[in-house]
Amino acid sequence: MTDPSSSGHGTDSGTSEMNVERWTNSWATNRRRFLALAGAGATGVILGSTVTACGSAAGNKNPGAKTSGAAKGRAGDAGETLFVAGFQWGPPTSFNPYSATPAWPTGGGQSQLIYETLLRWNILDGKLYAGLGKSMSMPDKYTIEVPLQEGTKWADGQDLTADDVVYTFELGKQAALNFSNVWTYLDKVEAKDPRTVAFTLKKNPYNPPTVKGALNSVLILPKHIWSKTSPDKIITVTNMEPVGSGPFKIGKADQTQVHLLRDDNYWGNTAYGKPPMKIVHHQIYKSNSDGDLALESGQVDASQQFTSQIWTMWEDKGKPVGTWLKEKPYYIPGNLPSVIFNLSKKGLDNVKVRKAFAYAINYGDIAKTAMSSYSDDAQASMIVPKGSEEKYFDASAVQANGWEYNPDKAEQILTDELKAKKGSDGIYSLPDGTKLGGWTISCPTGWSDWNTSCEIISKNLKAVGIDVKTNFPQAPTWTTAMQNGNFDLVHNTYTGVGPNSPWARYRDMLDNRGVPKIGKQAFYNYGRFSDSRVPALLDKAAAAANDQESIAAIRELDNIFRETIPVIPVMYRPLEFYEYNESNWTNFPDEKNPYAPPMWQGAGIQWLFKLKRVGS
Amino acid sequence: MRAVSFTPRFWVALCFIIAVLVVGVIGPMVVKTSPDAVVGGLYDPPEGFGAKMLGTDNQGQSVLANLVFGTRTSLIVGIIAGGIATGIGLIIGLFAGYLGGTVEDVLMGFTNVVLAIPAIVVVILLSVALPSRGVLILGVVIGITSWPWTARAVRAQATSVRTREHIDVARISGASLPSILLRDVLPYLLSYVVMAFVLQMSGAILTEAALSMLGLGPSGVVSLGIMLHWALVWGSVRVGAYWAFLPPTLMLTMIAFSLLLLQSSLDEVFNPRLRRGRSRAARRAPAVNVGALAEGPAVTGIAPDTETAGGRA
Repeated sequence: MTDPSSSGHGTDSGTSEMNVERWTNSWATNRRRFLALAGAGATGVILGSTVTACGSAAGNKNPGAKTSGAAKGRAGDAGETLFVAGFQWGPPTSFNPYSATPAWPTGGGQSQLIYETLLRWNILDGKLYAGLGKSMSMPDKYTIEVPLQEGTKWADGQDLTADDVVYTFELGKQAALNFSNVWTYLDKVEAKDPRTVAFTLKKNPYNPPTVKGALNSVLILPKHIWSKTSPDKIITVTNMEPVGSGPFKIGKADQTQVHLLRDDNYWGNTAYGKPPMKIVHHQIYKSNSDGDLALESGQVDASQQFTSQIWTMWEDKGKPVGTWLKEKPYYIPGNLPSVIFNLSKKGLDNVKVRKAFAYAINYGDIAKTAMSSYSDDAQASMIVPKGSEEKYFDASAVQANGWEYNPDKAEQILTDELKAKKGSDGIYSLPDGTKLGGWTISCPTGWSDWNTSCEIISKNLKAVGIDVKTNFPQAPTWTTAMQNGNFDLVHNTYTGVGPNSPWARYRDMLDNRGVPKIGKQAFYNYGRFSDSRVPALLDKAAAAANDQESIAAIRELDNIFRETIPVIPVMYRPLEFYEYNESNWTNFPDEKNPYAPPMWQGAGIQWLFKLKRVGS
Repeated sequence: MRAVSFTPRFWVALCFIIAVLVVGVIGPMVVKTSPDAVVGGLYDPPEGFGAKMLGTDNQGQSVLANLVFGTRTSLIVGIIAGGIATGIGLIIGLFAGYLGGTVEDVLMGFTNVVLAIPAIVVVILLSVALPSRGVLILGVVIGITSWPWTARAVRAQATSVRTREHIDVARISGASLPSILLRDVLPYLLSYVVMAFVLQMSGAILTEAALSMLGLGPSGVVSLGIMLHWALVWGSVRVGAYWAFLPPTLMLTMIAFSLLLLQSSLDEVFNPRLRRGRSRAARRAPAVNVGALAEGPAVTGIAPDTETAGGRA
């Protein structure tokens, strides 16, 4: 639902009359007076609404942003605040990392400001760095040991010990959480001593990359608080006052903002130093465009938003804005946004129909317009062809068995292979009467790049005689529907590059193990794909002793993907967008100053500690 | 109409309206580019003559093609919604005004209830609730939410007509109710109905634009509001792509302005009291049923409620 008042103008008539009624004691039937009152009333309402819309916890939100070369940042509290945007799109409903829609910053893949992980992955070198854990060692093939850092403790003063880590991992065994599948590969997690955790891997299936991936992604919970809740109820806890181990605490959270206050007793002050900002403030914008304007004007310091044609900010306007690269494509690719089919829907369960989809989509247009040239044309492979996954990419197989934009070929598949007939409305129907239409493709409202990509896909499909409408609901609604299998097509991405990619991406897309039936929450394989060849191959790829074996298995999986088409990758995208405005904080890392990766999650938290106030 | 002398204001309005119609009706026949066809990249600036004359939008589509097809869509929505709203308002107003008594109380009570509900909220709720939003459906939705003020005005006029002698004559001669309403009451209101329709149409076009800006526009087609929606979402103001938001804005302004101008100039024609610049004595015997408003309240075009015509930049 869109709030009508958000379109900027209150309705004069209604509000002013209401206000006049409140003035009854001084009411006089005098037109001039009436108008004056009405005007005052309406103005009051408009002012009131803007004040609430701006959020007030930040106090003075006058950015005072100067153009480049400004020697003075924001004054007062706002100057001590790091304003971020691009993680939270709806009101925060839960700070439970294991609920369906955890709010920033407790969700997976966000900065570890409240809850932390044992290790942190770095996209630049593909290595794991210290988090709560000091290091990682493998005394033998089936054991991983992680000693904790000195003095780790929770925000309420209690020590964070190996017990908490064990408790959190055990939760995944007792309840269906988003990391529960790690127990497919874990035999046990024990506290070797109060400050060392030992993970014992299963011999069959043997999958060290996924376990290491979990060390990088499982946010550790305090046992003394959560053990009061029975494990099967964990998902439903809203946890609106989270107690974590990270450098910040929740200050205020409502539908306009999530506002974090620095915890001066953070255990990591010795290990990482003290964050220079007192407050981290996430303003909740309705759409990318609001956040983009805020970034350009310096009201937002750093953002994880798709900002189209970002180069105009510094090339045309001379703003102190930057991204990781100063040239095209400006970002490092790390994700494959795709069209995910719900394979239980009649019509979409037919692989030839999906193949027609694949030929109908204009990948070049999507890269050029929807992705603002931040992407190359998508190829028929679930591997990111640049960077750490390049070695898995099999160009000849993609060439031989893949697809590219070719609407004639799409129509040919429909008419020749499927014997579909075109109706009077220009939409094909299969011989059994199934109409290739009436479907919707959805992604959250305000995600302008994907919204546009959905529009392009919808028009491309219409051109070949398939009817797919677009639908842009609120993000939490969309997420829930997707996980429960309540959709036709969604525009979403499976696991990006990380410690256990591309293996995890194929698991997300193809593996039916651990995926409940439609109507229950799934954390991967939303389309409910299943194929008998896949599980063994996945296990082979995971247990591979060397590159050669894992490359062979992954390429085999990629072949299955091309043969069955459960999803269609439509663009490449950075793992996270990363852009900054240096009018209040400087020393953001970039290609020329690469002391930290262009990340928010994992090892990206390093730069938060190294920012400097302008003029300090 | 031969005896009616039009004011310069009318001719100006007519020129504007013809310009709009050329864009919205002739335009789609002349501009061969499909509004869905990709002719360039993300916000290419205007160049040359042809599809890229007004640049490209965020999907690399021709702004010119989108403008002519979008204007057509907006006009269609306006005509459907304006027709429905005027029709409903006319029927309810006529019955209430002519019959009076309990019927009037019930009908006007209902009208007042509908009037009290902010139309834009109802329109948004209906748009969200409907599974698919075609142009026709959207026009109907806007139409069934914006008739009350027409109903009230028509009722006021019908009430004043009711007491005239020719109605008594018609009654005595045994004419049926529909026949009286259609042949003896309605002609006296026609001038007003035409003006109400013009206003309803401009209000509906603006409502459609407002809805589309919120992302609730008609699906599968382009309209002026949808163009503005994407221009807003893609920050065209921020990146300086003025060709993405200026043409639809100007077009919407021109449509609304010219319709309002037409309405007020017709007002002068129909209502002798408002005529300016000519001696009042120059009133000729009106050939058509004008001057019906010489008695009773001079009902000029009532400004529609602010949601439809007000303050949406």
